[in-house]
Amino acid sequence: MKLGGFEELVLLAIGSLGDDAYGVTIKEILKEKTGKNPSVGALHSALYRLEEKEFVKTREGGATAERGGRRKKYYQLTAYGLKMLQETNELRMSFAQNIPGLSIKTQE
Amino acid sequence: MSIQGNIPPKLAQKLLQWFLKDELLEEVTGDLEEKFELDQETYSLSKARRNYWFQVINYIRPFAIKRSKNSITMMKIGIISSFFKVGYRNLLRHKSFSLINVSGLALGLICFLFIFLWVREEMSVDSFHSKSENLYVIYRNQDADGSVQSSFSTPMRWNNGYHIVVDDMEEAIPEVKNKAYYATGYELPWGYPKTFRYGDKKFKLEGSRASEDFFKVFDYQVIAGDQETPLSDVSSMAISRKMAILFFNSPEEAIGQTLNYEDKYDFQVTAVFEDVTDRSSLQFQYLINWESQMKRLEWSSDQVLTTIELQDGADPQIVAAKLDNYLQSRLDENEDFEDHIGLYPFDQKYLHSTFVNGIPADGLISYMKIFSWVGVFILLVASINFMNLTTARSIKRAKEVAMRKVVGSNKLYLIGQFLCESILIAAVAMVLALGAVALLLPIFNSSLNKSISFPMLDYQFWTICVGLIVLVGFVAGSYPALYLSSLRPIQSLKGLIRISKSSIWFRKGLVVFQFSVSIVLLVVTIFITRQTDYLRSKNLGYDRENIISFRVEGTINSSYEVFKNRLLSMPGIAALDRGSEEPQAMGFEVSKPINWQGKDHEVGFKPSSVGYDYLDLMGLEVVEGRGFSKAHPSDSGAFMINEAAVKQMAIDNPVGKWISAWDKRGKIIGVLKDFHSSSLHEPIKPVILDVKEDLYFGVVIVKTKSGQTEEALASLENIYKEMNPNFPLDYKFMDAAYNNMYQTEMVMGKLSNISALLAIVISCLGLFGLAMFTAEQRTKEIGIRKVLGATVNQLIGLFSKDFLLLVMVAFLVALPLSWYLMKQWLESYAYHVDLSWWVFAVAGLASLLVAFGTISFQSVKVALSNPVKSLRAE
Repeated sequence: MKLGGFEELVLLAIGSLGDDAYGVTIKEILKEKTGKNPSVGALHSALYRLEEKEFVKTREGGATAERGGRRKKYYQLTAYGLKMLQETNELRMSFAQNIPGLSIKTQE
Repeated sequence: MSIQGNIPPKLAQKLLQWFLKDELLEEVTGDLEEKFELDQETYSLSKARRNYWFQVINYIRPFAIKRSKNSITMMKIGIISSFFKVGYRNLLRHKSFSLINVSGLALGLICFLFIFLWVREEMSVDSFHSKSENLYVIYRNQDADGSVQSSFSTPMRWNNGYHIVVDDMEEAIPEVKNKAYYATGYELPWGYPKTFRYGDKKFKLEGSRASEDFFKVFDYQVIAGDQETPLSDVSSMAISRKMAILFFNSPEEAIGQTLNYEDKYDFQVTAVFEDVTDRSSLQFQYLINWESQMKRLEWSSDQVLTTIELQDGADPQIVAAKLDNYLQSRLDENEDFEDHIGLYPFDQKYLHSTFVNGIPADGLISYMKIFSWVGVFILLVASINFMNLTTARSIKRAKEVAMRKVVGSNKLYLIGQFLCESILIAAVAMVLALGAVALLLPIFNSSLNKSISFPMLDYQFWTICVGLIVLVGFVAGSYPALYLSSLRPIQSLKGLIRISKSSIWFRKGLVVFQFSVSIVLLVVTIFITRQTDYLRSKNLGYDRENIISFRVEGTINSSYEVFKNRLLSMPGIAALDRGSEEPQAMGFEVSKPINWQGKDHEVGFKPSSVGYDYLDLMGLEVVEGRGFSKAHPSDSGAFMINEAAVKQMAIDNPVGKWISAWDKRGKIIGVLKDFHSSSLHEPIKPVILDVKEDLYFGVVIVKTKSGQTEEALASLENIYKEMNPNFPLDYKFMDAAYNNMYQTEMVMGKLSNISALLAIVISCLGLFGLAMFTAEQRTKEIGIRKVLGATVNQLIGLFSKDFLLLVMVAFLVALPLSWYLMKQWLESYAYHVDLSWWVFAVAGLASLLVAFGTISFQSVKVALSNPVKSLRAE
């Protein structure tokens, strides 16, 4: 199962948001981190693909007033999704280690 | 948090709901709405809305679109876009046909749009008042000895001054909420511009008098001063923005200022109202308090227009009946005529100004109806072009249709395809027509004396335009669509299509219809033009060339002799005298006050008073007795009547008999040859003249030496300025004033000219296309004929015969119809041109010639073509 570039970003966003991952928050964090503003349509289409590939699972959340009384759909990494992230991450790291001059900073 | 009432764009939500999979809907709309709230807080409402739209449109992605039903929708979209694509390609491939189709339709649409704009403009008159639905005017029927006189006015009676009989109707009839009087006697042609003066500034302005609640009942907007009841004080007046600027530079400065009226009274400006638009039937620059009207000011006529505002939900018929009852209860039973009143919607008054059997029924509305039909017919003629050409060309497309059928297209899709094509053509034509209308509107306006603006922002107008595209597309495309879609594929692929007899007949019928409409319009145009010419050039029984007139006002009456003598000695002036009315517009008519020796029945007279030189000045002819003369001192008490009077009075040897008008009694000294004293719609009425050179009203009539108008005007200006300094000179040329009486006829003439021209051009375009097609079809036949020895002339004859026959049939259809129409129209004039047969002949011949000319383009080309070329390929 492949993971597309944008899909990977979305998956990362979902993972980092923990329990609060739904359409709007995902969109916001992507905007914040990448500086690009994906359209809702693009985001959702990636989300559904991720769901189809079973990288994420969903649950229905509570309705709020600002959504006009509509329920949220929360996204959560599945174990498979987490594994996928791990694999891609490891792949990258393995490349990065061998690139001279590329230092890996961790945020902490 | 959530800002109340600011919700995402409805339409965008609808769109989303329409295409989005149901299972996605809740989440997506939720996300979008939350995002929308967020945007709205961080940016602005408009940006949030914009963004919402962007997101929705961006969501149209394959994964999100409804599947089950959607596959059909998607396919439909695909098919429809393919329809338009094919239509577009067809348009481009057959340029000449497309050109004929599009230009024909565009011409038709131009004509239709102009007529539509004009009719809509006229229909909208008086509808701008917000209480329009509850506004009714009183109309009145005066019945004296069985002859009913109807008008939009209000009964008044004398009782220590004039009173409006139903003045306190609000108290007697609870349904009447409010009322407004307006003195129509001050509108042209009865009234005349009044002189106002402020310091050195003096201007002549048209206006009237109105009652206190006028501004409450109507929506004439007060922009400065008293908003509520500006006309309550006896010396108050309201003026227009234009008048305020004329005298005081600005509306605000005008309030509280005093204006002098006719060198007699002072009025205080209590309000300034916005300039009255063209869409108001009441036109005024100023309004004077009503009490002044009833008690102080002179009257031009006693016509009062009463507008009543009814309570919501009141039935106007019941109120009218109550009003009439109330009127009857307050009238003297011994009066020798009956007076009745009724109610009519205020906003309909302008269109229905002519009374039929005591009810407002006719008027401008009939012209509106006629021209609406003309517009529809021209559009039909243009649509027929399209039908005819497309069907005629069906053979060319038969193979395409067959192919489509073979690969599985069903009949419905084929119909859809042809309809799409015709809608496409209609749309192109509409765009062209709208451009042309926008460009030509100024010319249209100036020739019709209107100020119609292009309704750029008018939602209704654009809806109608789109509606027209669809309608014309359907009407024009329906027959070709049905016809072509029912072709049998095998036969047409073999090249075996036979055009059925019935379809040929149908097409011929359409051509006949086109030319019938054109010929009718042509006949109508010729008659309207002839009648208008006749009206303008008719010998009225007096001279109207080189005649200038202006009103007697200020010091003109008191110093008349001096004024006259001084002016006569000036260059350019040939003659001068005075009369109480202009001879071409004698509006005053009475019957009771006129008595004569042996009177045994009432006769309606137009009484007028003139000076001694009047008959010479105007060139009126005396047929019996003699004219007024200073040589006979007794002539100051004498009368003259016209031939019509003699006839209606039914007396022999009128000269020498006594006659009286009010309390003046004297001998008839002469009989005048009949002259036209009002519009030619009316027969010549009895006229009675006497000499009065000391009336405070009336007109001065000046005859200028021919070719010296400018000198005469300069002389007049000089003397007038010197002798009547408080009044500006306002003169008019009698021939122009006379022509003005036929404004409607002129407008009709122009409109019908354009319509007829367009109808013929469109019909000929159609004929041209048809001829072109037939020529293409018959190349082989003509080639063979040529080889066998047919001459060019024979071939042209052969080719033209069929078409010309159609035009002749059209002529036969058009003949009775146009004859009937014109007979009706001409009979509305007491004096009119004959219904000459040659006009019909000319119209028929002209259309025949034009049709022949159109066809010969093709027929000559075909007849001259080399038969080798046409026969070589098989």
